Amino acid sequence: MTDLDIATDALMASTAATEPWLFQAMIEELSTSELGLSFIYTVLDLLAKRYDLTDAIVVLNHDALAVQEFRLGGRAVGADYAHRIGREPGVYCEPDVVPQAERDAVRTACQLALSMRMARFTASHDALTTIANRRTFDVALTNSTVRAARYGWPFTLVLIDLRGLKAINDRSGHEYGDRLLRSFGFALRVCVRQGDLAARIGGDEFAVILNNAEGNEANAFIERLRQHIVSEGETIEFTMGTATSPRDSTDPAELSRIADARLYAKRGIIHQ
Amino acid sequence: MMSPTEEDFELELRALPGVVNMGVRYSDKGDVDAVSLVVQGPDAATVRVVAKQIVSLYFPSATISIEEMKTIAPSNTATTLVMANRITLVRADFNSHVGSCEVHVTLNGRIGIGHSKNGPLIGGAEATLDALRHLDLEVPFYLVSSINIATSRGWPVIVTLRPTFNDVDRLGIAQADTELLSSAKATLSALNRFLDRATSEA
Repeated sequence: MTDLDIATDALMASTAATEPWLFQAMIEELSTSELGLSFIYTVLDLLAKRYDLTDAIVVLNHDALAVQEFRLGGRAVGADYAHRIGREPGVYCEPDVVPQAERDAVRTACQLALSMRMARFTASHDALTTIANRRTFDVALTNSTVRAARYGWPFTLVLIDLRGLKAINDRSGHEYGDRLLRSFGFALRVCVRQGDLAARIGGDEFAVILNNAEGNEANAFIERLRQHIVSEGETIEFTMGTATSPRDSTDPAELSRIADARLYAKRGIIHQ
Repeated sequence: MMSPTEEDFELELRALPGVVNMGVRYSDKGDVDAVSLVVQGPDAATVRVVAKQIVSLYFPSATISIEEMKTIAPSNTATTLVMANRITLVRADFNSHVGSCEVHVTLNGRIGIGHSKNGPLIGGAEATLDALRHLDLEVPFYLVSSINIATSRGWPVIVTLRPTFNDVDRLGIAQADTELLSSAKATLSALNRFLDRATSEA
């Protein structure tokens, strides 16, 4: 069990005794999905119905998000209003009729939901570029090769290496290098099709899985990417290597090796 | 119920530096129609650019509006939802060379500074009480205990304050990046209702 699982169990045990309605909401949410942002809005809605509130805001804190306000109905809080509420975590209601103990329970449950959702997000996404991370990529690659082997559904793996990132970092600073990485990650997200996967799999290494794509589709993607980078005025240089499954291989490790070898071959040409 | 994609979208926007909160408006068909962001801090212009990119990725047809949260003093419009005046923790520092804590709090633009030499856990609470007194607030409580709950990650701190008059103890709990911050915040949390009254009279 993870720390969050243990915390969930402990919270649910205490909530069941003190706030049965909140406990029920957690049970219902967990029966269909895991606790997440949806739960926070559901709980605010339930609280509003329970006390006939016109407004309810929960202020939560998280290392990665800093202090965040969530409002009944998914509405924005508004700058002036947010300023008046302040940044202290808690539950703020209109009218102010909800007992403090119940607010505390709501806040704790919402805090846990936010923590669980963020844990899931950070486990699958790269922190800098917010595209998929290595772990997500590995799972997706395995799934795609299984489908290619079983059903013959083709896909193309594209490995991408940014050129000269270390020199850029040394020359212009890591902040600039990070901005380039973010820009490149964004360019990948813009250029892949729905259902494809873009991932950052190393410091300056990216990978894209283009589902149901062979030569032409992969070339079209590469062209889209180049054009997007040029149109954004960025000076990012990169090298690519591609491998297609099932034609090249249906083994994920072998497919990666082939794409990697092609990438290094191109890099060698560039260096010469 | 929100889809995982919508939750990812919201988390990405909320993770941008300076984003305080956001709201989403849906069309009749249930699509995301408009996104509102409230942003605070010096990087609002940068956040605006990146936020627009993120919105265009997830919901290309959605409009986006960004409101900057000003750093001016709050208006005096009283509502039952919020306090017009509020004591805010500004900073809390621990000097490991001399073992002393310094806590800064603010009320109506005035800064109160408190000190203690009892380490971050107890000293954080003591320095916070000292800082409140520095703001000329009469704080009729004394510190009974300041303990950390070392059984859970992040080590939240519980502060117990006892009134100098005949009343029950006040408890506060907080979890922050450091033990000192947790202790200072837990102290303010314990005094929440008392400070509500004190600050409205200030």
